[in-house]
Amino acid sequence: MLVLSRKEGESIVIGDNIVVTVLEVRSGQIRIGIDAPRDLQVHRHEVYRQVLEANQDAVANARASADALRSQPRR
Amino acid sequence: MIAETNPGESRPDATNASTSDSREMDPAAGSLHFEDGIPGFPEQTRFALVNFVEDGAFQMLQSVDDPDVAMVVANPWMFFPDYEPELTELDQIGLEIVTAEDAVVFCPVSVGEDGILYMNLLGPFVVNARTRRARQVVLIEGGHTVRTPIPAPVS
Repeated sequence: MLVLSRKEGESIVIGDNIVVTVLEVRSGQIRIGIDAPRDLQVHRHEVYRQVLEANQDAVANARASADALRSQPRR
Repeated sequence: MIAETNPGESRPDATNASTSDSREMDPAAGSLHFEDGIPGFPEQTRFALVNFVEDGAFQMLQSVDDPDVAMVVANPWMFFPDYEPELTELDQIGLEIVTAEDAVVFCPVSVGEDGILYMNLLGPFVVNARTRRARQVVLIEGGHTVRTPIPAPVS
């Protein structure tokens, strides 16, 4: 992992068109601004992981879920 | 293949789409295009909605290129009428969604080991009904979870 030290207000550039700026540093928390192309999706990592793992779970359980729905009509 | 379709068909057969909700679209009209795949399955960019229960409340979202990649999905408002997923500007632009009528929303459903059906309200699928471009968005606001129990049917 590349490690860089930056101060408040300073930025790093990733590739040609992604700029990450440290906006504020305060009591164990930093605020980050991200300028990126509009089609690039940016997520909080832990939240993205939740959705990813839920997808894997839903795919692994697809047959069981379908069977559960067939055996207990919902409407 | 998980959904009940005829093996050997290049595209899953999808008929009898429910027309009870104007936001639903005819799955037979073509596959949905997920430009970046979905989290966990980045290679799968084309999905079809396949009916597998008669009432049409639930469908199978199935990869066109790998039928083993499939999950149950449902219209969230059938169970959570107050659900208000807020798309970021980036998602609206990425999907070219201009008005709410452009967007079709459905959420993953999975049965737990407890036999309860859970809906993922944190990561809804959003489709532009005009272009069939789609993505799974990750909601920032609203405090939604990936594992919300689906209420039992009112009998």
